[in-house]
Amino acid sequence: MSDADNSGKIREQTPMFQSQTQLPSMDAAAVKGAAEGLLASCQQNASAFDEFLGVDGRPRPHYAKLLSALENFTAPELRRRRDTSERLVHEQGITYHVYGDPRGVERPWQLDPIPLVIAPEEWRSLEAGLIQRATLLNKILADCYGNQELIRSRWLSPAMVFAQPDFLRPLHGVKVPNDTFLHFYAADLARSPDGRWWVMSDRTQIPTGAGYALANRLVTSRILPEPFRDNHVHRLAGFFRDAQSALAQLAPRQAGTARVVMLTPGPHNETYFEQAYLARYLGYMLVEGQDLTVRDNQVFLKTLSGLERVDVILRRVDDDFCDPLELRNDSILGVPGLVEAVRAGNVVMANALGSGLVQSPAFMPFLPGLCERLLGEKLKLPSVATWWCGQKDARSYVLDHLGEFVVKPAFRSHLRAPDPEKPLNKAELAELKRHVEFDPDLFVAQERVELSTASIFENGGLAARPITLRVFLAATERGFRVMPGGLVRVSPDAGGKFISMQHGGSSKDAWVISETPVEEVTLLHTAGANVELRRTGNNLPSRLADNFFWLGRYSERADATARLLRSALLRFNPERAGGGRSLIAPLLQTLEAQGQLPGISAKPELLQNAEAFEAELLAAIFDPARTGSLHSTADHLQRLATQVRDRTSNDMWRVLSQLNDRLATPTSSLVLLAGDATGVLNETLIGLAAFHGLARENMTRAQAWRFLDMGLRLERAVYLCTLLEATLRSPDAENPSLLEAVLEVVDSRITFRSRYTLLPSVPAVFDLVLLDDKNPRSVLFQINQLAKHFEKLPPEREDAPGSGKNVLAKCRARLNQTDARELAAPHDAWRNSELAAVVRETLETLPKLSDAIAAGYFAHSEISRTGRGTEQ
Amino acid sequence: MKYDVLHRTRYIYASPVRDSFNDVRLQPMPVPGQAVESFLLKVLPATRLTHFKDFYSNWIHHFEIIEPHGSLTIEAQSRVVTNPPAPLPAERLCSFARMKEAPNVERCFDYLQASRFVELSPEAWKLALDATDGIDDAWLAILALMKFVHGFLKYETASTHVHTHMSEVMRDRRGVCQDFAHLMTGLCRSLKIPARYVSGYLATEAASATHAWLEVFVPGHGWRGLDPTHNCQVGETYIKIGNGRDYADVPPISGNYRGTREHKMEVEVKITPVF
Repeated sequence: MSDADNSGKIREQTPMFQSQTQLPSMDAAAVKGAAEGLLASCQQNASAFDEFLGVDGRPRPHYAKLLSALENFTAPELRRRRDTSERLVHEQGITYHVYGDPRGVERPWQLDPIPLVIAPEEWRSLEAGLIQRATLLNKILADCYGNQELIRSRWLSPAMVFAQPDFLRPLHGVKVPNDTFLHFYAADLARSPDGRWWVMSDRTQIPTGAGYALANRLVTSRILPEPFRDNHVHRLAGFFRDAQSALAQLAPRQAGTARVVMLTPGPHNETYFEQAYLARYLGYMLVEGQDLTVRDNQVFLKTLSGLERVDVILRRVDDDFCDPLELRNDSILGVPGLVEAVRAGNVVMANALGSGLVQSPAFMPFLPGLCERLLGEKLKLPSVATWWCGQKDARSYVLDHLGEFVVKPAFRSHLRAPDPEKPLNKAELAELKRHVEFDPDLFVAQERVELSTASIFENGGLAARPITLRVFLAATERGFRVMPGGLVRVSPDAGGKFISMQHGGSSKDAWVISETPVEEVTLLHTAGANVELRRTGNNLPSRLADNFFWLGRYSERADATARLLRSALLRFNPERAGGGRSLIAPLLQTLEAQGQLPGISAKPELLQNAEAFEAELLAAIFDPARTGSLHSTADHLQRLATQVRDRTSNDMWRVLSQLNDRLATPTSSLVLLAGDATGVLNETLIGLAAFHGLARENMTRAQAWRFLDMGLRLERAVYLCTLLEATLRSPDAENPSLLEAVLEVVDSRITFRSRYTLLPSVPAVFDLVLLDDKNPRSVLFQINQLAKHFEKLPPEREDAPGSGKNVLAKCRARLNQTDARELAAPHDAWRNSELAAVVRETLETLPKLSDAIAAGYFAHSEISRTGRGTEQ
Repeated sequence: MKYDVLHRTRYIYASPVRDSFNDVRLQPMPVPGQAVESFLLKVLPATRLTHFKDFYSNWIHHFEIIEPHGSLTIEAQSRVVTNPPAPLPAERLCSFARMKEAPNVERCFDYLQASRFVELSPEAWKLALDATDGIDDAWLAILALMKFVHGFLKYETASTHVHTHMSEVMRDRRGVCQDFAHLMTGLCRSLKIPARYVSGYLATEAASATHAWLEVFVPGHGWRGLDPTHNCQVGETYIKIGNGRDYADVPPISGNYRGTREHKMEVEVKITPVF
């Protein structure tokens, strides 16, 4: 199809394999002896370029200072610093999500403490090459989404643009400010045996990794402060400051009022940590698609206090997922109408929608020609030798040498490419050949690369491992700027050729050093700038409000479940007829009504069989697969915590993780004793108390805390009322042992004893746990707290009779009018008493209240598609 | 011929929905052989409309309705004058060798590839080869393919839906105009003849309705309309709305909203000749 297109514009490929010409080695005297200690243990791969050592086995000059510093550390000292680095990684919660890892969402980030050092003159030439390349790629994008001169004049084959899923047709002809498509750009570099740097891949869709590079820097500079200082390492902050101000400049509205947000696909994305980290560092709100809405072709953030205009969206969502209306209509990550808002010029996307186009390796062979055509310069930084099979000559060359190359999809696709690490057998080669011949446009072939090696700290010594370097650029008002540093990715094995964080690679910091002391920049404060003091925190996206509300509900659900189960276990006595079950019946009924022990009252056989009954209780604690079990509630809790991770402290996060760990342990077919279980329940309750304590003491009294607390209060009221209702229904309602159990569950036994010397009676107990507004565990207390929160919240959307405020007011009035003493006349049947009616009515009110909160503050419902006309 | 076209679509939702964002492709294209004298789009609840031309030169009208609404009415009124070129004779007009130049014509590339509902499978290729066996002229091959598709598929109302893929059509050998158009598009592309899907109206139908056909590119003669459902070249009773790689590029109404999926849809199309 593109055969007609062999216009000979493919440029000659320069293979990376060349005879090994070494960089000038260092003045050996300067660091004499350095190579004999630590580095002596380091096995060098003879054919690869080693970053640390010259071909003579002596350290390269720019490593002199670092290596001599490392030499001064004893092995235990080095180990201690490595351990510190691991601890810092853990404490900062630096994680990377590995897809399909059964161990769950978060995997700790792997960081080797020894940085890669890049010499000043080498960096300068890299910088120039990278800036040229970013400028070039941006120009190609501008042409492809503009008048397509390159296709018309046959510099680009139509297939390279139109056959790519990354060419977004709805964006064709849409203007972007300053013709800037690439606000950020990253490239993976590798160094060949002759010491030259080559671009392995371009990242233009979502250039990730700058946040990890920053995190690596913070850790590495803290564990190696002396060499960091002595080497005059360029700081990274200046790069981020420039990027930040460039983004602010883009805003269609005047700067100052401009709002930049970072759009994330959510906590399950592999680089969610980085997104949250960068958003916090740059001061942008991290939002999901459902937090944004389009009104009149403008983009707004949905907050509890109303809509707030958004000017710039730094996106971490693939562009085709950004708008279910005009792009992929199965996307649930995007914002309907976003493309139209972009078209109207009311919002700027960074990177521009559609910019993934030029990260296809199919462009690589054409870059030298395009560079001369578009920039009038020679391409400074070469790409790894690449052949696009859509070209006739390239294709026949590739087919003749198929086994020597890495063949991969030219475009983003679901094509299964052969594993580059494994040589292909005859049948596989034939199969691959057939594929390439049938659909040549979809394949590129690349030269196999011998990566350079760098030393990592391993088993007390150093070991050489293959590395690649990812570098980052940002578009500023004065053209592209390169981050002085980068993310070094380290192969897990010595012969590795391909490095992927998904496959267990490690990482390093990269130090770009300077001959002279460097300027100190920080984003944390701008000296002399007037800081606008802010106190509100009242622009919580409604999705997060929803999550906090449920975080509160689930934490209290776990608390109540644990208390009820603990009391039931403690009171269950197999020695007694029926296990003393009638006295814990209200507890069990509460658990039944709330879903922890479904259908228990319909299983009279459990009453007879103590063992089966105990097993049932234990399952309600530990079985993660059982809906409503304490374990599944804790799982829920952790999932919710993930959703609000960037709004809660690390301590709160840790407490919840531990909660889960504790409940997870005994599933390994251990026969559990009730005694062990109560121990776990006690620990769970302490963990939850820690969580609530942290929430109470550490969260500002802004909307996030309010919704957390509202959830907690509402859930507590539900459990309380359910228990009180079940108690009044019990024929043993007046039995002091039962009332004692109720007091225990609601943690009010001590208060009761201090007030009454008598055995518990219904009026006294109900006065304390239903009506006493000083008892933080009473129903009225919860209702009063909810009312207080409502006063501080922005008005509900509708002021209907069913509004939260009204529902609450009625409920409160009913409780306030109730006086337990007047109800104290002995009743034959408490179940028919006025007291029971009050409890029942309150219980019926609570779900309405929950609905009202959801309707009033959490606006979201499923997105449906407008039906389509049927054709005849 | 001059026609007034009224196309009214009404959605009635089981419960009010909100945040509705929609793209409407109902404005007939001004193309050689077709002049659009007027076009009027009404949306209820009333809202602001914006419009733009997409990659394939279709006019798209965009609107949003934020407030809760129980129903949505979209009404398009067009007045169109059709004056198509005479049908091409069934004789040798374009050799396959000449057809090979087609990809060099701008924007033909998309119309030679597989797309959302059209596949270029070995099966499709074989079917196309068999249907054109012994024919050495591209134009004659196109006519043969049209005849073949017309006979190969059985027209059966409601046997397929708007998301039916060409491969299913090939398997089940039945469908509606959209499926006829998709299949013939795929067969043409298998023989490296650029083909694009067209949505529009057919004025002769007893109950006038939306219709679908295709256009093929014949070097020297431009894009020519063919209707495999009726095995004929497109004439003055055909009113073209827009074109694309397949149905996915030109659905009359597409969009999404927040709220219940449950809804009723009523479509009314009225085409009146104006004398």
